[in-house]
Amino acid sequence: MGRASSSSSSSIESSSNHFAFSSSKASSSSQRDLSTDLRLGLSISTSPSFPREQQSDWPPIKPLLRQALAEDENECNSATFFVKVYMEGIPIGRKLNLLAHQSYYDLIRTLENMFTTNIIWAEAEVDGDHYEKYHVLTYEDKEGDWMMVGDVPWE
Amino acid sequence: MMMIIVDEVIEHIFDFITSHKDRNSVSLVCKSWYKIERYSRQRVFIGNCYSISPERLIARFPGLKSLTLKGKPHFADFNLVPHDWGGFLDPWIKAFAKNRIGLEELRLKRMVVSDESLELLSKSFVNFKSLILVSCEGFTTDGLAAIAANCRNLRELDLQENEVDDHRGHWLSCFPESCTSLVSLNFACLKGEINLAALERLVARSPNLKSLRLNRSVPLDTLQKLLMRAPQLLDLGTGSYVHDPSSEAYNELKASIQKCKSIRSLSGFLEVAPRCMAAIYPICANLTFLNLSYAAGLHGNALTKLIQHCNKLQRLWILDCIGDKGLGVVASTCKELQELRVFPSDPYGAGNAAVTEEGLVLISAGCPKLNSLLYFCQQMTNAALITVAKNCPNFIRFRLCTLDPTKPDPVTNLPLDEGFGAIVQSCKGLKRLSLSGLLTDQVFLYIGMYAEQLEMLSIAFAGESDKGMLYVLNGCKKLRKLEIRDCPFGNAALLEDVGKYETMRSLWMSSCEVTLGACKTLAEKMPRLKVELINDSDQMEFNLDDDQKVEKMYLYRSVVGHREDAPEFVWIL
Repeated sequence: MGRASSSSSSSIESSSNHFAFSSSKASSSSQRDLSTDLRLGLSISTSPSFPREQQSDWPPIKPLLRQALAEDENECNSATFFVKVYMEGIPIGRKLNLLAHQSYYDLIRTLENMFTTNIIWAEAEVDGDHYEKYHVLTYEDKEGDWMMVGDVPWE
Repeated sequence: MMMIIVDEVIEHIFDFITSHKDRNSVSLVCKSWYKIERYSRQRVFIGNCYSISPERLIARFPGLKSLTLKGKPHFADFNLVPHDWGGFLDPWIKAFAKNRIGLEELRLKRMVVSDESLELLSKSFVNFKSLILVSCEGFTTDGLAAIAANCRNLRELDLQENEVDDHRGHWLSCFPESCTSLVSLNFACLKGEINLAALERLVARSPNLKSLRLNRSVPLDTLQKLLMRAPQLLDLGTGSYVHDPSSEAYNELKASIQKCKSIRSLSGFLEVAPRCMAAIYPICANLTFLNLSYAAGLHGNALTKLIQHCNKLQRLWILDCIGDKGLGVVASTCKELQELRVFPSDPYGAGNAAVTEEGLVLISAGCPKLNSLLYFCQQMTNAALITVAKNCPNFIRFRLCTLDPTKPDPVTNLPLDEGFGAIVQSCKGLKRLSLSGLLTDQVFLYIGMYAEQLEMLSIAFAGESDKGMLYVLNGCKKLRKLEIRDCPFGNAALLEDVGKYETMRSLWMSSCEVTLGACKTLAEKMPRLKVELINDSDQMEFNLDDDQKVEKMYLYRSVVGHREDAPEFVWIL
């Protein structure tokens, strides 16, 4: 998934890469649990009603594919998750380790320092007088829609 | 006046009969035809290497040139069969070498292949042209070095998903400068580094190269150089597909790819930078086969954008991160689609798969030519399966796997009996079926009733009683392979019609209700069936109590005696 390619191919990934907080599809299954995004590798996976866990004979896929996918998962369990953030008008993006931050506030503070601007996100208080100096922080979700950062819980 | 058709004429006619089935039929007509057929037969297919011996094979078909040989049972793919169970290539090669068989092509699946056999192979057959190894193990890159060095006329070296011990030697450099005959080279499954310069030189001197599949160690800039040398390729598997899209190397790649107008089949992307996929767009419209099952780094927009360019696709292999919506894109783009495989991107099945019945319904509606499916999903509904059955009556292969293997229809909470029933009733040509989800004996009643062409059936965590298995054994006249795990089928089902198993290639039952006593009874009654009991490889002792349930049983028909190469954890009754 996105996290894997982020950690292995550093500077190439654009901010259109999925973050941890890419929302699941709005529509479908009520079984989707937004707070457990497995792509971060940090969440607690919902164990299936089926008793076997982490067996190497289920699901029935070939060992080579299983290894390749597991390696992918392992890469994500390390403590880094780099994303690239672009500011409008500047072609060069800045790399940032999401997992080095504890909360949105933490992240926003870092970004504000990096880009020397004020950042509008889901919980920002907008001061109308200084509107021109603000940048809105967005990310592209799974469906390709641009969403404002901060709606989904940090975890 | 009598017209006598001379043997040579008959032989000439037989030249036009190529399918194994037809040639087998022809050989049964009369003694004369049997004799003519066997001397003229060049290609032989052996679905179970223990059903016959090398000596018998050679005795009957001295003109053998091309052999397909399969070893371990299919469930070995899922770690259900211990390594060293069997399926050794060695005795075959030794026998062929000794009897001076003019072997030219060898295709192996789930066999244990040693470096020694590869070396013997490389030195024994002057006209050897083609080696295809699928899901094999037991060899290292040293064996490949021998093949490269010694097979003067090698056209094809195709390694598909084998477990190879990579010694990181220079096996690729062992192809002599005089080797210019390569048509197909696939080493995607190798884990180690290869000599890139040697690879470039090899490709440069192989004008007939049509198929090239690289491994992860081949970087993008080497790919560019290779494509420059081989714009005539039909089939390409990229290695690592990672680069900076603003670099010169990437631009050169774009230019090189554009010249490859013949590429119809694309795979690889073992490591992938989504922003580099745009380089592929120019050739997408020509693709008939796209395999992204190892491209875990590709999803979301980058993935769907790529697919939107592939409107002639006939076969698509993909990971479930494409999502239901992504499958919708496939459905509206790939109108020629015949085969779809959606693999789970989470190998432990503990999380949520990103596809559900919705994606499958979309595909069935958009792709009426669909005839082959492998679909790992979060859930399935009867309604969806019924719709799919209506939309796509042409399925030949239908394999479904819900990640929770006993999951009912989430909407109705019912078993998936009706859904699969609709599939078998509608798809009159169905040859292969894998079931999943909550299933009772009812689904097997449907299968026995309607699946008249069914040749292979895979069942896991399904059924309620022996009746289930009996419906299948009694109903499916063309059944050749039946594999069952974790089902409540027992002795009554196993022993009801023992003659049935001689019409089949094999039966696998693991974690079922079958006891040792019943297996013994079966073995006694049917001497031409080999009944193997398999323990885990660290468990050498067999519990000798007749009432003890058997953990793993594999039975197969054979015209020769017990195999002598069985390890200690295998007991052949």
